[in-house]
Amino acid sequence: MVDPATTPLGKMLLDEITPVVMVLRTPLVEESCLKNGLSLLQMLTPFSNFNSIDVPVRTSSDQPYRLQKFKLRLFYESDIRQPNLEVAKERLKQVITQAGEKDLSELCSDPPQLSNVVSSPESENLPSWFQFFNKELIHTVSFSDHEAFDHPVACLLVVSSKDEQPINRFVDLFNTNKLPSILNDGVMDPKILKHYLLVHDNQDGSSEKAAKILTEMRSTFGPNECHLLCINSSQDGKIEHQDNPWDLYKSHTSPSQHLGCFLNIDDFNEIKDLMQELSSKHIIPYMEQKIRVLNQQVSATRKGFRNQLKNLWWRKGKDDTFDSPTGSMYTFSSIESQIRILGDYAFMLRDYELALSNYRLISTDYKLDKAWKRYAGVQEMMGLTYFLLDQSRKEAEYCMENAFITYLKTGSSGQQNATRCGLWWVEMLKARDQCKEAATVYFRICGEETLYSAVMLEQASYCYLLAKPPMLHKYGFHLILSGDRYKKCDQIKHAIRTYRSATSVYRGTTWGHIKDHIHFHIGQWYAFLGMYDVAVTHMLEVLACSNESKTTQEVFLRDFLQIVQKTGKTFEVLKLQLPVINISSLKVIFEDHRTYASPAAASVKESLWYSLEEDISPSLSTTRSNWLELQSKVIPKKYKESNICVAGEAVKVGIEFKNPLQIPISISSVTLICELSAKSDEIESDSNSSTSELRNDVESQKLTATKDGSSDVSSFTLSEIDISIGGGETIMVQLMVTPKVEGILNIVGVRWKLSGSVVGLYKFESNLVKKKIARGRRKANYSPGNDLKFIVIKSLPKLEGIIHSLPERAYTGHMRQLILELRNQSEFPVKNLKMKINQPRFLSVGMHDELDTKFPACLEKKKNSELSGADGNCSRVPQAVFLFPEDISIHGETPLSWPLWLHAAVPGNISLYVTIYYETGDMSSIIKYRTLRMYYNLQVLPSLNVSFQISPCPSRLKHFLVHLDVMNQTISESFQIHQLSTVGHQWEISLLQPFDTIFPLQSLYAGQALSCFFMLKNCEESISSDKTSSPSCILGNDASLQDSSDMLFDISGSPLADFHHCERLQQRVTPQDDPNAVDFILISRPPKSDTVSGISDPQYIYSHHACHCSTLGTGPITWLIDGPRTMHHDFSASFCEIDLRMTIYNSSDAAVFIRVNTYDSPSSNGQSSDATTLQTAVPTGNQSGWHEVPVLNDIKVASQVLGTQVGKSSLSLDSVSPFIWSGSSATSVQLGPMSTAEIPMKVCIFSPGSYNLSDYALNWNLVAVNGDGNEGEMRQSSGTCHGYPYHLTLLQSS
Amino acid sequence: MIVCVAVVGHQNNPLYIQSFTEEDDALKLHHIVHCSLDVVDERVNNPKKSGPTLNETFLGLLYPTENYKVYGYLTNTKVKFILVTTDLDVRDADVRNFFRSFHAAYVDAVSNPFHVPGKKITSKTFANRVSTIVKSFGLSSAG
Repeated sequence: MVDPATTPLGKMLLDEITPVVMVLRTPLVEESCLKNGLSLLQMLTPFSNFNSIDVPVRTSSDQPYRLQKFKLRLFYESDIRQPNLEVAKERLKQVITQAGEKDLSELCSDPPQLSNVVSSPESENLPSWFQFFNKELIHTVSFSDHEAFDHPVACLLVVSSKDEQPINRFVDLFNTNKLPSILNDGVMDPKILKHYLLVHDNQDGSSEKAAKILTEMRSTFGPNECHLLCINSSQDGKIEHQDNPWDLYKSHTSPSQHLGCFLNIDDFNEIKDLMQELSSKHIIPYMEQKIRVLNQQVSATRKGFRNQLKNLWWRKGKDDTFDSPTGSMYTFSSIESQIRILGDYAFMLRDYELALSNYRLISTDYKLDKAWKRYAGVQEMMGLTYFLLDQSRKEAEYCMENAFITYLKTGSSGQQNATRCGLWWVEMLKARDQCKEAATVYFRICGEETLYSAVMLEQASYCYLLAKPPMLHKYGFHLILSGDRYKKCDQIKHAIRTYRSATSVYRGTTWGHIKDHIHFHIGQWYAFLGMYDVAVTHMLEVLACSNESKTTQEVFLRDFLQIVQKTGKTFEVLKLQLPVINISSLKVIFEDHRTYASPAAASVKESLWYSLEEDISPSLSTTRSNWLELQSKVIPKKYKESNICVAGEAVKVGIEFKNPLQIPISISSVTLICELSAKSDEIESDSNSSTSELRNDVESQKLTATKDGSSDVSSFTLSEIDISIGGGETIMVQLMVTPKVEGILNIVGVRWKLSGSVVGLYKFESNLVKKKIARGRRKANYSPGNDLKFIVIKSLPKLEGIIHSLPERAYTGHMRQLILELRNQSEFPVKNLKMKINQPRFLSVGMHDELDTKFPACLEKKKNSELSGADGNCSRVPQAVFLFPEDISIHGETPLSWPLWLHAAVPGNISLYVTIYYETGDMSSIIKYRTLRMYYNLQVLPSLNVSFQISPCPSRLKHFLVHLDVMNQTISESFQIHQLSTVGHQWEISLLQPFDTIFPLQSLYAGQALSCFFMLKNCEESISSDKTSSPSCILGNDASLQDSSDMLFDISGSPLADFHHCERLQQRVTPQDDPNAVDFILISRPPKSDTVSGISDPQYIYSHHACHCSTLGTGPITWLIDGPRTMHHDFSASFCEIDLRMTIYNSSDAAVFIRVNTYDSPSSNGQSSDATTLQTAVPTGNQSGWHEVPVLNDIKVASQVLGTQVGKSSLSLDSVSPFIWSGSSATSVQLGPMSTAEIPMKVCIFSPGSYNLSDYALNWNLVAVNGDGNEGEMRQSSGTCHGYPYHLTLLQSS
Repeated sequence: MIVCVAVVGHQNNPLYIQSFTEEDDALKLHHIVHCSLDVVDERVNNPKKSGPTLNETFLGLLYPTENYKVYGYLTNTKVKFILVTTDLDVRDADVRNFFRSFHAAYVDAVSNPFHVPGKKITSKTFANRVSTIVKSFGLSSAG
């Protein structure tokens, strides 16, 4: 533990609680002293502080001790009174204001970092004026009447030798009228130690007269109490003192004057000796004596058991009468005052034990008397004594707290005392490193006086900072509290200072509400002081206050703009927070050899384009073979490092601006910040020169470019955008820079103007560097926006393309003609055009001569059209890459139009990518070719659901029944079914019934379904492989589903055939073409408008393609039973024998072994249970069928009824069946592929009636072709087919 | 009456502050909550003062200001709950119960897979639940 005397509090106490000497002087004395620019008091004060006085002191005990440090406090008699409160307040305010002014320079600097504040030593953080202020505050309560240590111990009477009748003057000086009130009103003893001093001014002549007066004085007042002081010994007044002791007073006078300039070294020493003697020979012995006397008195009256008892008894009796809180009833002669004086004297002479014992004694008395103020004063002193004795800390703190509370209890008059007590208490706690407790005491000191409490709170905050560990949250909070109070007292500079310190606490945290409040107020206050620049920087912090309420945000923004306006400047703020820039959204679109027809095309992934362009652009296709060699050849190294753009073509940068506020903000003149350093032509011409050379060149050029900035401005043009962003909105802004000359273009950042006053800048660099490092091979993971540095090369021809009349949405099957228009703005022609489309199923390229044709009409079959024309079309196979004719070159004004065909094949969202490759005529350029990329999105809606069911026609071989189901799936659209065509010349299709009867309505409306039947005929006569193997040659057969007046469409026409080919490829199931599969094309068209036909017909039709519809039924074989249907026979003669022919056709490509089994009886064991059910089902079906017949023919009725009866009886009776198969019950035959065989059959019938001859089954077995093991697995290798119903009616011939 | 509840993350970052007063004293309450963090730190760093058991989450009365009483609660993940109340006569058991249900609500809120740990809690459900808890606290202490 450190010596309490060396702590700040100890030093303070040794300074403040010392004997007071009252100085009385005549005006002439003052006059002499003022020659030096000093008053008498000022002249003497520096010498009243002794560091090593070394005086032996003996107080109550017999053991003397030596005092080393000692101090006298000198006051004029007029100052010894309680200071006027108002004056004191004013002075304190001045102290604070001055301190505020001094700190002004610091206000402009940056606020300190929190880590620095915590780590730096105490003295640096704590403003030095706190101590001064605290001292002044303590002085406001000096010379109070309840304490004795401010009462003068001695009196120094000073008379000049020039005064007339000096002896009388001495007497006059101690006239009671002039003496301070405390001596007169009985608070202190008027009989005090007097010392007489005669001052002689050596400039007024020799000191002889003075010596005479001195002897006279000595005889009058006593030899020891008189002194002569000669001053102003120097005649010229040019004495300069080293370590001038009066420097302290310099500020009060004019700085040019040397203080004490007439005082030479003799005077100096004389003053010193005088003061030393005064204290050591007079004051200290006097105090010693007084202590001894008082101690004896006190011992006699109060010490000891008897006296205590007596005192108690006596006090109790006094209770009723003495009840005044002021306690002014104690005169100096009362024993209580005596004890207090004894204590204070002992304290001043550092006999703390003695002081403490007396304070204790008196404190109980005062408490009993309820003299609270005095009690508090004594408690306070006790606390201090405990502290200085370094005894019981708890006791000391208890006493201080007690004193503090008691002072507060005494009402407003005690407030100042309480403050002083609190300050001492704080110092005591601080000396013991109890900063946290000290802070709470500071907090308690805060009274009504706002200004004082501001200072106290600030001091409290520093206590929290100094606490171990530092309590930073509270530090910040108290700074804010203090700042608020400063602001209330108009101490704005202090307020700013505290708030600025507080910012260090909240910096980097997410306590946005508090931070906004702080910065906003600092900004406002700076603006109040007129320091707008600093104000703006603080206001910037609060701009992006997304958490605040709407009104607050409005206030913030409004104030900010006001302050900015007041500055009269346009600020350029790096990283302005409003609006927020989403850097991850940064997207750069530039065109080197890749050009884009639309922004949408640019946003498509590069890899998609890359795969599409792989086989049309030369470098890309060869890159694969040897990338290492090739890259260096194709593009010079230099250009690989940065992107290439073309002069005159805009580089687009997209970036998101977000408004974090709830109020809309307006942003104007959003532009890019770019640098373009021009490059000389030689580099262009010598593009193959080594990298290092190029670099140097570029660097030197850059230097020159930056020198003359004017060239920069004109070398590129920037787009400017004004936007207004609503609350919480995010807007993607598209900015453009168009370089005009060759060189290196660097996109540095973006700038914008907020509300027309503040310019915000945002630089992209920082994250660019990061990306560069992370980036691997450029080609590999290229994405636009990686790099913001561009090499601008000279302007190149550029194609612009657009596809006209491409709908955004279409119904499935939609087929129309589109026009691709290509333009080249520059004069240089482009050539070698190639085009590739990613979805040939949806988009195909037409021929140039198709451009003028009218679409649906051109497809119509001309009556006299020759087959040769169709043959020509037939040869055209859709290619992956479409090569434009060699002779085409586009330049200047004339655009190139080229027809395209669109077919919306399947529903869904279809992305169509079209890339057009072209070569520039200029071979000197770095870029030899360019590609135009077009992207369209097509939404295809479902329209007609077309399904086919094909079943073999039971009545005819190689004929099939086609069941077409069409369902309109749209919501509102209606379609007009136009025709159904089959593809391939071997097929013929025809309607079973006239279309009008099936479907009298012309159009199929939304949600409607239609089904109709067709007969499909395979008219292929001979098996010829060459015809089936060329399915691309489309010759079709059509069935019109419309009025005969309408023309049929020629399915071998160019778009239909092309798209059909694509569909065939798409819908293929098996790798091989199935000869039994048939392709259908259903063509429908939009309903004809009922209005005047003059309005152009729709330019499109719908075509639905169903490919590879298999005609095969359950097995590879089809058969037909041929024979008579109705016969007349005379059964009375004999049974009837009928010959039948079964024709079997093998439609598979393998040989089939077939066995025909016939069953005579339904209950025969050869028949499976399946057959039974089948058979039972058939007659019932027949029965229902039969019911219709009687209407037609009367004659048949009888026989038919009979027949059924017979049938029924045969079933019920389980007797012999009415007919039997004759001949062998099983016939086997082997059938080669695609061949027919005929098997004769015979049936014997015994009675007339109608018979169903379906009691047979065909067992077939595929004969495995050698090496076709797989085939056998895939297909069913064997199976059984049950016979068809074959109805035979026999009539009894009459 | 409870005037404010707050959730403060383990880096002393505010996750949720809600005041339940009519007047516009959000700033004051922010400050009070912010200040109380010092006391929380103190309690945590001097475990001998912090209560009888080692795993005690309830920190008790942090400090009384002129008008308020501030209570604290520390979860295992070092997330702090602060309660500011104007009731001068509050039973510890009530506060404990309050914090327990508040903790449950908090756990549910951060268990939301869409909640980013360390970010402010924006869940409306949480806010509703908290206000219900706060209301019920007022009732239980009154009755």
